[in-house]
Amino acid sequence: MLFLQVLINGLLLGGLYGLMALGMSLIWGVMNIVNIAHGALIMLGAYATFWMFTLWGWDPFVSLPATIALLFVYGYCLQRFLLNLVVRAQLFLTLLITFGVEVVMVNLVRIFWSSDLRQVTPGYAGANFSVGGVTVPYVRLWVFMTTVVLSILFLLLLEKTRLGRAIRATSEELRAARLTGIPVAHIYAVTFGLGAALAGAAGGMWGMLFPITPIMGGGLTLKSFVVAVLGGLGTMMGAIVGGLVLGLAESFTSTYIGPTYPNAISFGLLVLILIVKPTGLVGRRG
Amino acid sequence: MTRTGWCAVMLAAALAFSGTAWGADEIVLGSAISQTGKYAREGKFYVDAYALTVDAVNKAGGVKVGGKAYKLVLKMYDDQSDPNLSVRLFTRLVTSDKVNLLLGPYSSGITIPASAVSEKYEIPMVQGGGASGKIFDRGYKYIFGTLPKAEFYFQSVIEAAAKFTPRVQTAALLYSNEAFDRSVADGARQWLKEQKIDKVYDEEYQPATQDFTSVLAVLKSKSPDLVLVAGHEENALNFIRQAQAADMAPKMMVFTVGPPTADFRKTLGKAAEYVFGITPWLPDMDVGGEIFKSARDFAKQFQDRFGYEADYHVASGAADVLAYKFAIEKAGSLDAKKVRDALAALDAETMYGRVKFEPTGQIAMGQVVVQIQEGKLVPVYAAGKTLAKPIYPAPKWSMRK
Amino acid sequence: MKGSRGKPLVIGAAVVLALALAPAGLSPFLVQFLINLFMLAALAESWNIIGGFTGYASFGNVAFFGIGAYTTGVLLTAAEWPFALALPAGGLLAMAFAGLIGMPILRLKGHYFAIATLGVAETMREIVYNLKITGGGTGLTMPITRSALPFFYLMLGILIAATLVNWWISASRFGYGLIAIREDEDAAAAMGINAALYKTAAFALSGLFAGLTGGVFAYWITFIDPEGVFRVIVTIQMIIMAVFGGMGTVVGPLLGALVLATVSEVLSTQLVSLAELFNGFIVILVVLFMPKGLAEVIRKREFSLRKLARNLREYRV
Repeated sequence: MLFLQVLINGLLLGGLYGLMALGMSLIWGVMNIVNIAHGALIMLGAYATFWMFTLWGWDPFVSLPATIALLFVYGYCLQRFLLNLVVRAQLFLTLLITFGVEVVMVNLVRIFWSSDLRQVTPGYAGANFSVGGVTVPYVRLWVFMTTVVLSILFLLLLEKTRLGRAIRATSEELRAARLTGIPVAHIYAVTFGLGAALAGAAGGMWGMLFPITPIMGGGLTLKSFVVAVLGGLGTMMGAIVGGLVLGLAESFTSTYIGPTYPNAISFGLLVLILIVKPTGLVGRRG
Repeated sequence: MTRTGWCAVMLAAALAFSGTAWGADEIVLGSAISQTGKYAREGKFYVDAYALTVDAVNKAGGVKVGGKAYKLVLKMYDDQSDPNLSVRLFTRLVTSDKVNLLLGPYSSGITIPASAVSEKYEIPMVQGGGASGKIFDRGYKYIFGTLPKAEFYFQSVIEAAAKFTPRVQTAALLYSNEAFDRSVADGARQWLKEQKIDKVYDEEYQPATQDFTSVLAVLKSKSPDLVLVAGHEENALNFIRQAQAADMAPKMMVFTVGPPTADFRKTLGKAAEYVFGITPWLPDMDVGGEIFKSARDFAKQFQDRFGYEADYHVASGAADVLAYKFAIEKAGSLDAKKVRDALAALDAETMYGRVKFEPTGQIAMGQVVVQIQEGKLVPVYAAGKTLAKPIYPAPKWSMRK
Repeated sequence: MKGSRGKPLVIGAAVVLALALAPAGLSPFLVQFLINLFMLAALAESWNIIGGFTGYASFGNVAFFGIGAYTTGVLLTAAEWPFALALPAGGLLAMAFAGLIGMPILRLKGHYFAIATLGVAETMREIVYNLKITGGGTGLTMPITRSALPFFYLMLGILIAATLVNWWISASRFGYGLIAIREDEDAAAAMGINAALYKTAAFALSGLFAGLTGGVFAYWITFIDPEGVFRVIVTIQMIIMAVFGGMGTVVGPLLGALVLATVSEVLSTQLVSLAELFNGFIVILVVLFMPKGLAEVIRKREFSLRKLARNLREYRV
């Protein structure tokens, strides 16, 4: 049944889109930093997974915690030692600096690891099962389940832990947070680290589905924008909802309108949402 | 920065902009090729091919003009897979570096604007990376190409498919929104009609598309016998992988780019089995000429030097340099117009095949239909003749070992 | 007032005269470089109107550049208009588009505005990809022109016009209104400034010049395709040049374009594979140490590293 297949396809990929955007939404919501290097972080996660798979034979799902840890540390350092220096500058200056970071990251990767296409293909890569006329690739299903688990874990972290409370406090009122003794520079760095870790996890998953190249990040940053804005900037549920919506929109557009239209539709949606309801589908007004 | 500092910067800039000075016994071939960006992989084939051929020609005595032996020298830039940069770099090659002749970039999309530069300055450009007829239908006199016409890419394979038993009856056409692939698609529609094969699907996709699952879902519901995909290597890789995951195994799959390249087969492993491809050149073809005695000889030299197998991109690039050697010697001069005329009249046997350009400037060359059988590239059909038994129909994914 | 504003005008006229005579003495390659430089400087000046003076950092101005390029391109090829008509048409259409899309989008602030403009640029590219009249992914090829001189003077002309408009803005009521909006939009509105009208006008002006450069670009480069014309990096270049030189000033974008385009050209031919890497580092360093731009640095004569590091202390958390 074509319709069901298209629906399932859209949801499975949409879940991954949501995970991708989660990190961006967090960083944007807490520190008001629009991270143009977001896609590059996803790319790094993909490469990390690739190397661990190729050099040590680690299954990509198994190496996920390692990827998350690596990207967390990287993100923490990036924020602590570079981005913290300009956090209070004009908004678009932070945009520019993250752009510079993106260019540097992409080119360093290109120089050291070349532009060759890489892919993570564990033995079960093509395996699939069919139910009711709908074929579901195992990898996509497991990726979807992983993104659900990670998202839940992350939301729990934000809501229930002391760290999460500190992060939310810092985002809401910087001065008050300082007054209550929260080490803001450190919290910012942790937040960025978390965002990077989420991006890295998304990258590890992405690398199982699509080829890995140094320049893969650009389009993913744009996609993450669309998802984050669609759902509602700064709201975590928004990123997930936005991801699913985008996944479905792309899937249905590609099937019923034509394969050249999904991008036009997603960017058009972005502009439309910003004009009509900038707080996004899930975000609250004001 | 102090005033002296600024002067230094300006001076450096001026120096950087001054062209290079060439030796009196050198013929400089200039080119901007994609060494970074989305075409970096294919671009490398040409960089290496040019290098190998230039060295081989020089080793064999160089290019003889008026009793003097000239050395070939390459001047290469990186166009970063960007057509705008390519235009500026070719302009720079002509006006600042003052090269003698031009070698082309990779991809029709970049060759179309780059050839406008060679036409503007009336300096020949021989390229082996752009196959779209659109490069050659503008009435330009200075552009030559060693890749056969894109519109004919699928002709032989569709012809072959019509001869299969059981006969191929329905086909799907999927192509990228780019000059080359659209040309391939234009031609394909004609060949399908000619062979009376029903076209049940005809869609364009964005070049940057990575997710073909929707397309595959539709294709699965329509079940065409033959699936024709025009796109670049990355598109082909994604398509096949996702076809496997979607359990979509058409009886026959053909790709414009990918199968002849060793890297493609290695990356896909078993999933590449039964896939058809097209190539104007194979290492064990019975062709040869000066400098490289045979295709096999060339392939071996290339493999020895660069560590990977040569495919038709490489051979095409090598042929470009060879075309210049023969044309310059025939013209007996380095004058751009005379070399251009010699190229137009060229008819030489080389390790790539017969290099002869049509009046439009594009080479006329047949394509060999190949199929990946047991990991090896097997030529199955060419010039109206079946060369080896093709495996048709391809078994379902679950039936494969 | 006239006296103190006279001097820059005289210097400017002298520079323009020198440039106008330049092609006679320069190599064809340098002429090409200058055409590119004028284009980037004109784009930086056009961005300056909405980003520098009005404080609305648009990340999608390449959309206007692209619309100008494609309008001119389509009129030249499909409708066979003479370039003298196709070019202004391109500029005007870009300006109209900017005005139209500006009305809803300029209601957004900060990041939202930036992302919205980015979305507009991306959407435009996708639309152009899908239209038949633009040639889709195949692109459009213009008729060949033998000489580069017309483009040299056209780009120079557009640059001069854009700079003059910036200069006029810097001392006019309109300009003061824009600056007021940038500093505190609510206060500006309270003072009776029609913010929506001013912002949209600034955006439209920005679009006009971007569109005109796009039109000249299309004819000059002889070939346009969606991928090549609607590139995010072009907007970033505009912004970085304006910021580097000093946004909100008249001369800043010119300075920024001159220095950065020169450095970039030198790098891209000498250190090919490292060029982009260096560009990235430059962007980072500029934001860290010179966020107010080169013009400010020169004006305040803050050439020591210590003074530059002062910025860090000001902006860090």
